[in-house]
Amino acid sequence: MTGKQKPELPQGTLDMLILKALSLGPMHGYGVGQRIGQLAEEMLKVEEGTLYPALYRIERRGWIVSEWGVSENNRRARFYKLTREGRKQLNLEEANWSQLSIAIGKVLRTA
Amino acid sequence: MEWLSKLAMRLRALRRGDAVHREIAEEWQFHIDLRTLENIRRGMTPETARRTAEQHFGNRGYIKDLSWEERGGGLAETVWQDLKFGIRQLWKSSGFTVVAVLSLALGIGANTAIFSYIDAWMIKPLPYPQPDRLVRFETQDKKHGWTSSGVTSAADFFDFQRQNSSFEQTVAWSSANFNLTGDDPPELVEGGRVTWNYFDTLGAKPILGRTFTAEDDHSGAPHLVILSQGLWQGRYAGDLKIIGRNIAIGREAYTVVGVMPGTFQFPLMGVANLWVPLAATDKQRAERSGIWLAAFGRLKPSVSLEQARAETTTFLTRLEREFPQTNTNLTWLVTSMTDEIRREEGAPEVMMCFVIVGLVLLIACANVANLMLARATGRKKEFAVRGALGATGRRLARQLLTESLLLFLLGAAAGLFFGLWGMRWIALQIPGHIRAYIVNYGHVDLNFTTLAFTLVIALLCGLVFGLAPALGSSRLDLNLTLKEASSQTSGSSHSGRLRRIFVAAETALAVVVLISATLLVKSFIISVRSGPGFNPSNVLTAQLALPRTKYTQDAQVRNFSEEALARIHSLPGVASVGVASHVPFGGFGQGIEFEVVGRPLQPGERQGAPFTAVSQDYFSTMQIGLVKGRLFDPTEAYASSPSVIVSQTMARQLWPDEDPIGKKLRLSEQRTIGTIVGVVSDVKTYHLREPHGWHIYVPMAQFPSRTLAYAVRTTGDSTTMAAAIRDAIWSVDRDQPVSSAPMETLIATVDAGNRVVTKLMVFFGALALFLGVIGIYGVMAHLVSQRTHEIGIRTALGASPPQVLRMFIGQGMKLALIGIAVGVVSALGATRALATMLYQVTPSDPLTFITVPILFAMVAAAACGVPARRAMKVDPLIALRYE
Repeated sequence: MTGKQKPELPQGTLDMLILKALSLGPMHGYGVGQRIGQLAEEMLKVEEGTLYPALYRIERRGWIVSEWGVSENNRRARFYKLTREGRKQLNLEEANWSQLSIAIGKVLRTA
Repeated sequence: MEWLSKLAMRLRALRRGDAVHREIAEEWQFHIDLRTLENIRRGMTPETARRTAEQHFGNRGYIKDLSWEERGGGLAETVWQDLKFGIRQLWKSSGFTVVAVLSLALGIGANTAIFSYIDAWMIKPLPYPQPDRLVRFETQDKKHGWTSSGVTSAADFFDFQRQNSSFEQTVAWSSANFNLTGDDPPELVEGGRVTWNYFDTLGAKPILGRTFTAEDDHSGAPHLVILSQGLWQGRYAGDLKIIGRNIAIGREAYTVVGVMPGTFQFPLMGVANLWVPLAATDKQRAERSGIWLAAFGRLKPSVSLEQARAETTTFLTRLEREFPQTNTNLTWLVTSMTDEIRREEGAPEVMMCFVIVGLVLLIACANVANLMLARATGRKKEFAVRGALGATGRRLARQLLTESLLLFLLGAAAGLFFGLWGMRWIALQIPGHIRAYIVNYGHVDLNFTTLAFTLVIALLCGLVFGLAPALGSSRLDLNLTLKEASSQTSGSSHSGRLRRIFVAAETALAVVVLISATLLVKSFIISVRSGPGFNPSNVLTAQLALPRTKYTQDAQVRNFSEEALARIHSLPGVASVGVASHVPFGGFGQGIEFEVVGRPLQPGERQGAPFTAVSQDYFSTMQIGLVKGRLFDPTEAYASSPSVIVSQTMARQLWPDEDPIGKKLRLSEQRTIGTIVGVVSDVKTYHLREPHGWHIYVPMAQFPSRTLAYAVRTTGDSTTMAAAIRDAIWSVDRDQPVSSAPMETLIATVDAGNRVVTKLMVFFGALALFLGVIGIYGVMAHLVSQRTHEIGIRTALGASPPQVLRMFIGQGMKLALIGIAVGVVSALGATRALATMLYQVTPSDPLTFITVPILFAMVAAAACGVPARRAMKVDPLIALRYE
């Protein structure tokens, strides 16, 4: 297992937000984006698409799994769900939440 | 089990890449559709809603690259992605790319060109089968230390050939010139007399006919000759029936038995277009003294060089005992022919050029690494965003390395063109007769080895020099970077320090190259300025050798030389004319052993000096100055004891405290005693860089010579006179080939190697200076643009523009001066290796070591000045807003 991210690394910022968003329940990419939008205002306003590489990576790490399902408007959509490992990772990272949110604040001010 | 799922994904991406792409596309379409609906709900028109949704989604291509990799896109694909992205990046910053590729192309091209010669000379095996079995024999005097490139005597050689057990074959040869006569105008052809096994031992096969056999090689055998392809195609128009045809050499008929291919060369013999069997006479075979044969051998397969050496030494020790008069202290050196040829004249110069171009390439590399670092700093924000999106440090580093490799490969591709052009240029600079001494000359080209060399150095440099910026970015601290990017004050980041180290190192290297180049160029200028000891301008030389077969009597020789002299003298446009047994730079020379009367030599001790027989007007025509005494006069021919004139250096060294005039020399070969009547200034005879040496001149009236070299001083342009002079000689004897050339051409020819090296040094020196300065300029320009904000604050707080200018020039010059100082110290050590290539310039020539750094500092100051002036003009209002 090499997937133990050091929580203080800002690189994982988006990852953690995604985990947080999915901790509320399985969701498709668009929904994850919406939820993050509520968690960290406007974080993804610039480039929503960049969410997807992050989702794929987290999935590869085994923190989330995905399957095709049907969305609220009856379309085929890919849903992501937090795994047990993902939840552990989230707990680990939440300990550093406040510090990271400062970093995110900086990202937002400069991006 | 991350690796398992990773593997599964990789496999799926590899086998079903389309499906993965389709899934991604569908997922994203869903996203955009949903966003569009949302936008419509907020009151946008459907078109605006969709467009806004697309815009918000972002740069799809870029995101797709990242996604594809996360979804297991194979390694090949990621490399391809990196490449695509790299090409895009390089394309976007085309100015950077052009500068980088150009400096790399110059550096790599110069290396390729020089390496092609290194390859031919030092790496490729000699163009003979099993070249490592070939060895060369030389004579060494164990007591006095001198070596001679021949074997002790013909008798010694043939004894050794019969008795040794180490060699398959031993070959003796002697260079010779042949007068081709017959129906066509006579022609002097360089060639060799060789023992019959010469070609077979070298494994050379004729393109027509055969090589010599043992029966051909004894005195009294029919006269046979083998021609070179060049001679066959030139003089004999490629006659396919040449085999068996008789050609006239001198006054004798020789039957052509073979034609050797144009690719056949033997660098130790040099130019050779014609070979005849050595056919040594019984008298020659019995002669124990006189070094006139050169020799080499082919070792038996089982015999090592050491064993062969041991046997040869034993043999020569026995000869010393048996023939003490001729062989005392003399032994043979047995050396690998490959080593000998690689040590030939010019080899150190070629290696030196290689080192210099290596340094130039390093400067170019440091330059490019610097530019990349600067760009990496400029792209920090891009990396930060990519990092925030989850690109790992390794991924970013790989991207940067890919870009660097791409850049270096582009540089290599462009460099190949430069290299090819450089090779052609160098080839043009090398006169034909010198080419014969460059082993594998015909194979200097862009071959596999050279291409591989170019590719390897490009990749290696790309990796090594791409690593610095790559490592720098993989260590990115996101927080810090984003902060830095917003406030542009930092000038002391990790990459900034690295860049300053690079610039200082680059400057140091450039100073080393520039100092080395200056020393070599200065040597060349001094050697050319120092002159040959006579005035070569408007002097035309015409050389010929009278055949012993036709000119059997001294009187005939004397008549010919005087008659021709008179006819040349009466030509219009001739100011004066002299004749000598050979002229300086004429290629041939003769030495004589002598003894000062009253100072007998020790047994076995030898003393010799170059020896020239000259006509009365020779010195005045050549404008060789009289130092003391008198020149030869018309009475010499009737004098009972010959007069002798010696060179200034010889007179000074032999009689440091005495008057040399009136001293007597016993000229051993002639067994005559001559009286010194005059001392003339020193003259160089083979090349411009030889030290002043001994020289003995005697009157041609008393020492008739079959080799004749006319020196004609003309009143106008000498080149137009060549034909008239040749006709004047031919009016005496139509059969004698004359080779004529302006004296200045003869000198330029022997100096051609130095001329090429000097031109290369001028080019490499300029290149080093240029690249070094670009490096300094680049760093300063970047520094200024990075610190615009700070300059604004300083100016707003009251710093005057000159203060800002001084600050930046000061910072740039600090780097430059550190580099220059390091360079000067390194050069002090490095130039010692040049000592043998310098002429009347010490490796630590004070003038060079002072001027070059000053020049460099001045150019560096100018390079700092341009961006610094830009800094001075910064408007604080704009600068403070500039974020």
